[in-house]
Amino acid sequence: MTSGRSRAHRRGLGFEIRVATRHLRSGGGQTWLTVSAVAAAVIIVIFVTGLIFGLQQKLTDLLTEAIPHVTVRVADPRPTPLAEVPGAPPGPSSSRLEQLAPQQKDIDDWPRVAATIRAVPGVILVNPVVRQQGFVSKGGHAIGVGVVGADPTLQEEVTPISRYMVAGRYRGLASDEIVVDTELAKDLNLAVGERVRLMSNTGASDAFTVAGIYSRGQGRGDAYVTLRTAQSLFGLGTAVNVVFVKLRDIYRADQIADQIMGLVPYEARSWSREFPVFLDRLRMQAATAYLISGFSLVASAFAIASVLIVSVLQKSKQIGILKAIGARRRQILRIFVLEGLGIALAGSTVGATVGTLIVYFLGRIEQPAYRPGQPPEQYFPVAILPAYIGLAVGAAIIATVLAAYLPSRRAARLNPVDVMR
Amino acid sequence: MSAGTPRAVLPPDRRTDESGRPGPVVIETRDLRKTYAGKVPVPVLHGVELEIRAGEFVAIIGQSGSGKTTLLNLLGALDTPTAGAVVINGVDLATLDEDGLADFRSDEIGFVFQFHYLLDEFSCLENVLMPIVIRYGGVTGAQRARVVGLLRRVGLDAELDKRPGEMSGGQNQRCAIVRALANEPGIILADEPTGNLDSRAGEEVFALMREMSREQGVAFVMITHDDRLAHVADRILLIEDGRVRELAKSQHRARTAGTLLGVTSDPTAQAEHGAQA
Repeated sequence: MTSGRSRAHRRGLGFEIRVATRHLRSGGGQTWLTVSAVAAAVIIVIFVTGLIFGLQQKLTDLLTEAIPHVTVRVADPRPTPLAEVPGAPPGPSSSRLEQLAPQQKDIDDWPRVAATIRAVPGVILVNPVVRQQGFVSKGGHAIGVGVVGADPTLQEEVTPISRYMVAGRYRGLASDEIVVDTELAKDLNLAVGERVRLMSNTGASDAFTVAGIYSRGQGRGDAYVTLRTAQSLFGLGTAVNVVFVKLRDIYRADQIADQIMGLVPYEARSWSREFPVFLDRLRMQAATAYLISGFSLVASAFAIASVLIVSVLQKSKQIGILKAIGARRRQILRIFVLEGLGIALAGSTVGATVGTLIVYFLGRIEQPAYRPGQPPEQYFPVAILPAYIGLAVGAAIIATVLAAYLPSRRAARLNPVDVMR
Repeated sequence: MSAGTPRAVLPPDRRTDESGRPGPVVIETRDLRKTYAGKVPVPVLHGVELEIRAGEFVAIIGQSGSGKTTLLNLLGALDTPTAGAVVINGVDLATLDEDGLADFRSDEIGFVFQFHYLLDEFSCLENVLMPIVIRYGGVTGAQRARVVGLLRRVGLDAELDKRPGEMSGGQNQRCAIVRALANEPGIILADEPTGNLDSRAGEEVFALMREMSREQGVAFVMITHDDRLAHVADRILLIEDGRVRELAKSQHRARTAGTLLGVTSDPTAQAEHGAQA
């Protein structure tokens, strides 16, 4: 008690944890209300991101299953300004398009090109293909169709077809067999085993047996034959006119396409550059998900802040007593910040658990497939995304602790004389 | 003194040391002034000078609004003076920052208020341990044993786990007194500690404080409106017109009698009344 008596320094957070824990335990309904507010915000974030990004993933999968991730082909010539064309007549137009002859669009050295592309990191499969326009006819009735000539095993890896078979098969396709989609089959009244005629855009034609009918549910699809058949039918010899590339990460398609263009003298187009509007819509969806999540976190933070402000007002006398018996300003601040942290941890744990369960059970609700012969599909294309669950929990904890900080500062500044008077 | 170390053996009456000399001055004020700011500033204390020695039991009396609580708040580092100095155990409080003042309150001073001001969510024992937990972050076995001993000493051994709402007013106030002693302070400041109790409970609490003061060797400064209690203090300080003066027991007795008769027989007070008239 004498002057200069030396005391041990304050240690740890024992006092703050003890008081904050007791406040939370004795808070009853008020504590549960704030925990529920945090949990609700986390549930909303997990639900909205699960729904929107699940849908986004589903749409992207549908698109990238139907098209190659990167397509390599001979580049079309760019429009040339007339001023640069020798002997061009003067006129109102300023440029002209030079069309390439069909044979100039062939990739003769495709084995070397395929080997080069295969060596690019991130590439998992390279598929040389003949892709042309043709006509399928039966009984004098002809319908225009895209024709893909490829090795069925490789093609299955790039744009799966067997998964969408309604009847027949694609694997093991023979040189005189063809696989068509349901739209064409309906229009020509085709069934597996029937004979059709396939005519190329150069006038050559041959008879084929329908080996399979598939449906992707995305409008009229291509007709599939073997690579050798297509090379022969379209007069390409041993050449192909496109090379399909499959990637490990579809979102690196632009970068890898650029890399491929640096290695081979052909144009490489990524799926995302082929469908910029689709990507734009996906980005808008993602922005919507972030906005909804952000607003729900902010709303929850306001709810928590208001409950904690009331709590501080209710406890002003207690704060005064604690300060009178030696509590420092920082200790009082920490009590209320710890209360906020406790609420955040409890709320985000409950929210993450309930939110994940909701998404899981929503994902189990099924509807009949719109494609005949396919298994039932998810009614809600939701996805459980651990990264977003982690982000939701982290953001909720930060928002709650920030919301607790303001009333805590107010509590810490209270003057014991004023509140105990 | 480290946590849990028992206080050094003190003479039974700290007003004097073993050789009979007066004990050290533990509270000293120099020209202490306090004016509450506002549209119309309210001056309350006008140059208070006082000295209180270790182990003294001092009663502060005075009319309502005379500045007793203001003086106690200044002595307890809960408020800051407008001018002048408060020196506790040789430390001028003006030299301490906010954390320093909090530590100072924790180490040197115990408070007992008119209302017990125990924390409702905590048991009697937890309330008493609170100043130790604030100071050290936890409680050692020795500290707990000492505090439990004090609670037993004041007759609260059956109430250790009871919350304030489950105890009587007198029990709560006894608990508050033990809380004030928890960190072994040298000074206890009590603001009408019996004011909210019935007369029997008030006398019990007062007797307890007196006993604790002697046993623990603590300087006890108590505001009271109860003249009987004030009369048994070692010293009586009257606060009047913003100044403090000491009353001899005889003056206090005469003043009390005068108050009862509606006049004052205190010659000093008579002189003051004459001057005011």
